[in-house]
Amino acid sequence: MKNRLKVLRAERDWTQADLANALDVSRQTINAIETGKFDPSLPLAFRTARLFALRIEEIFQDE
Amino acid sequence: MSQTKQSDGGYQTRVRTKVTRLFLWNGAWGVATALMAFGPKFLWDHSLAFTLLAVGLDVAVGVGMLRANKIYLAQLDELQRKVQFNSMGITLGVGLIAGVPISVMDAYHFIPFHADIGYLLILMSVTFAACNLYGTWRYR
Repeated sequence: MKNRLKVLRAERDWTQADLANALDVSRQTINAIETGKFDPSLPLAFRTARLFALRIEEIFQDE
Repeated sequence: MSQTKQSDGGYQTRVRTKVTRLFLWNGAWGVATALMAFGPKFLWDHSLAFTLLAVGLDVAVGVGMLRANKIYLAQLDELQRKVQFNSMGITLGVGLIAGVPISVMDAYHFIPFHADIGYLLILMSVTFAACNLYGTWRYR
């Protein structure tokens, strides 16, 4: 699954640690999602979408 | 970014607290197990009452350790939990795959040493640690 997490984070000038803190997960998890090594659960995808005020499919795209 | 924070260092702080608690329970279980194993010989001269007390203590502390582990796992985020569960699954598999044949070979005297449970514990500990390290490295 592809995602725009890194771009969205960069647009806001947030570090991975900032985003991890906002989503209440570890920095390692943010890195794994950004690099496509790990797909988030639906609840985490919803939290991410809420944080960026976007729809889930605007952040995560099926390959 | 501060307005998006749920709490200052929330996740890391929570996990660190649970890790400390789990570490203490693990230590307590180690002490209780050592007491149960060596107490009869070195401390109370094989008194049945004291030995049963030590066994009860070991089981009780073991249950506490399991509960601390469950709380720790519940506190982890989904990736960290996945790494832990993968490690546990592989450790269980390795324990079964190695444990049963060695036990059978010991029963039929195919190996020159006694298949002590301690060897299995060491193998499972090393497997779990290696899997955890690999999982952490893989998703770093």
